[in-house]
Amino acid sequence: MSEIKWEKTISDVNNEILVNLERPHKMYYVALAVSVACVLMFLTMVGYHTVVGLGVWTGFAPPTYWLVDITNFVFWVGIGHAGTLISAILFLFRAQWRNTVNRSAEAMTIFAVICAAVFPLIHMGRMYLGAYWALPLPNTNNLWVNFRSPLFWDVCAISTYFTTSLLFWYIGLVPDLASIRDRVSGFKKVVYGLLSFGWRGTARQWHHYETGYGFLAALATPLVLSVHSIVSWDFAMSIQPGWHTTIFPPYFVAGAILSGCAMVYTLLVPIRWMFGLEKFIRADHLEACIKLTLLTSTIVFYAYGIEFFVAWYSGNPYEWAIFQKRAAGPYAFYFWTMVACNCIFPLIWWSKKMRYNMVVSYVVCVLINVGMWFERYNIIISSLIEDFLPGSWGHAEPGLWEIGLTIGSFGLFNMFFLLFCKFFPIVSLSEIKLIMPKPLSGHGKGGH
Amino acid sequence: MSQQNGILAIFKHLDTVCHAVEKVKGRTDFKDHEVYSPTSYHEIEHACAFSPSPVRWFTFVGAMTGTVTGFALALLCDWDWPVVVGGKMPGIFSLPAYVVLGFEFTILFGAIATVAGVLVMCRMPNPKVKILDSRLTDDMFGIWVPGAVVDGPQAKLLKEAGAVEIKATR
Repeated sequence: MSEIKWEKTISDVNNEILVNLERPHKMYYVALAVSVACVLMFLTMVGYHTVVGLGVWTGFAPPTYWLVDITNFVFWVGIGHAGTLISAILFLFRAQWRNTVNRSAEAMTIFAVICAAVFPLIHMGRMYLGAYWALPLPNTNNLWVNFRSPLFWDVCAISTYFTTSLLFWYIGLVPDLASIRDRVSGFKKVVYGLLSFGWRGTARQWHHYETGYGFLAALATPLVLSVHSIVSWDFAMSIQPGWHTTIFPPYFVAGAILSGCAMVYTLLVPIRWMFGLEKFIRADHLEACIKLTLLTSTIVFYAYGIEFFVAWYSGNPYEWAIFQKRAAGPYAFYFWTMVACNCIFPLIWWSKKMRYNMVVSYVVCVLINVGMWFERYNIIISSLIEDFLPGSWGHAEPGLWEIGLTIGSFGLFNMFFLLFCKFFPIVSLSEIKLIMPKPLSGHGKGGH
Repeated sequence: MSQQNGILAIFKHLDTVCHAVEKVKGRTDFKDHEVYSPTSYHEIEHACAFSPSPVRWFTFVGAMTGTVTGFALALLCDWDWPVVVGGKMPGIFSLPAYVVLGFEFTILFGAIATVAGVLVMCRMPNPKVKILDSRLTDDMFGIWVPGAVVDGPQAKLLKEAGAVEIKATR
């Protein structure tokens, strides 16, 4: 990314970013109302099937019990990947553009992981027993959980990812919360004072903070890559044709980063408009995000191709049959939608003009997220529907319950994100100051 | 420390405050002074010449505790009730499968210990914090000197070094 010419100085950061938070565009409230309505629908549905039982779901039958649940789980975990990737890995690479988008990407991670965690809990039916089934507690026969099961690894991976991302996000927020504390008065001052832990901003505090932040980034970097690898092992460790393949971990990680970056763009474009942040989250920053999306799209494109090649080259007739059915069977629509959305449409971004065209890029990012949802659905349905008992083979499509819960989870995600945008700085105040011209006296040059 | 009386010198520019820090560093009449900055400029950190932060030891001890805990959890549960899964022997023979657990606990405990380290070293949470000047978390820099007075020699030196304002704090 070329050097950015800032129109603003560090003196404008707190004023403009925090004042805008207090006066969002009226569309903000419309978006919030729609999200809350979706959440109410979601809670009603979850409440109903918790009382009545999971039999009300359209697709709750063998062999595809967990079809849309697990699709949504993997989809939301994938979305959650970009946040810590942008925060941790790009921090270690000193990519400056991440300083403008890292806060919202981290928040997105937290909320996406919450949405992801909801689905295995829902799938348990009696979700209040979730902790008893998922955590390493002995059962009634005094048996411990199976530590060699990828499903248990997944519980550990997601819990660790959520906790580490939350800590990383909050520790980054502390200096900014202190900035808000120093601007407001009355009850707000007390609340932000408590939330900022009494941060003073001394050089010594910054020294410890920077060290800690660097170590958190170093710890989170392998974690980002491991989490979706472990999610992929939920599938790859089984002997199901179509799942039992070693390409899954890198393929899933690349797909997760693709969907996550696309979601960052999808959220940031309306948010920067609603809160008037165009001068801080610049077109160049968004273009850098698009470049990363394009890179991961090409990796995913390659993975789709090599997965097919290996299925054919392996000489395993069951493996090859699954792949043929994916492309030309009853679920071909999902497969080709996935290919078009994740591999073909992003090719438009090889043109710099298109990368800077926000309408086109926004549409492509939305399509990528549609494509990534279809990718997970495609992987899961094609292998599950024809299991080892031919008598249970059939056809499954998501019904109204599944679609309703999926829309509800989007409502939950959007509601959390919109509330976050209203009460916390969307752009990291302390980090954006670092990439702006330094406040030097006299002949000092700006930049970093 | 911020509860004591003293003076706060406000600086507008990064290079000026770094210059002032170099001047006051090591002087007995500026003992226990604190430098304030709106963000983590490395220039200030270099001027202050801090020794490496002990936070790294918190991370190391936390991460190693996590590694041991992860492996121990799986191995002790195997010892408590060994179960053969998929023809695989439990315990030390299944160690590769427990690497995932060891890894996740390493990261989890390491991250928690790092945040604990930052909080301990920064003396936080501190509900009794005294806000010296609201501009210090916005766009201004500051040097706070405990025990100094507005018309004293320390204030004069800081003024000469480029402070735009000197004020008393209590």
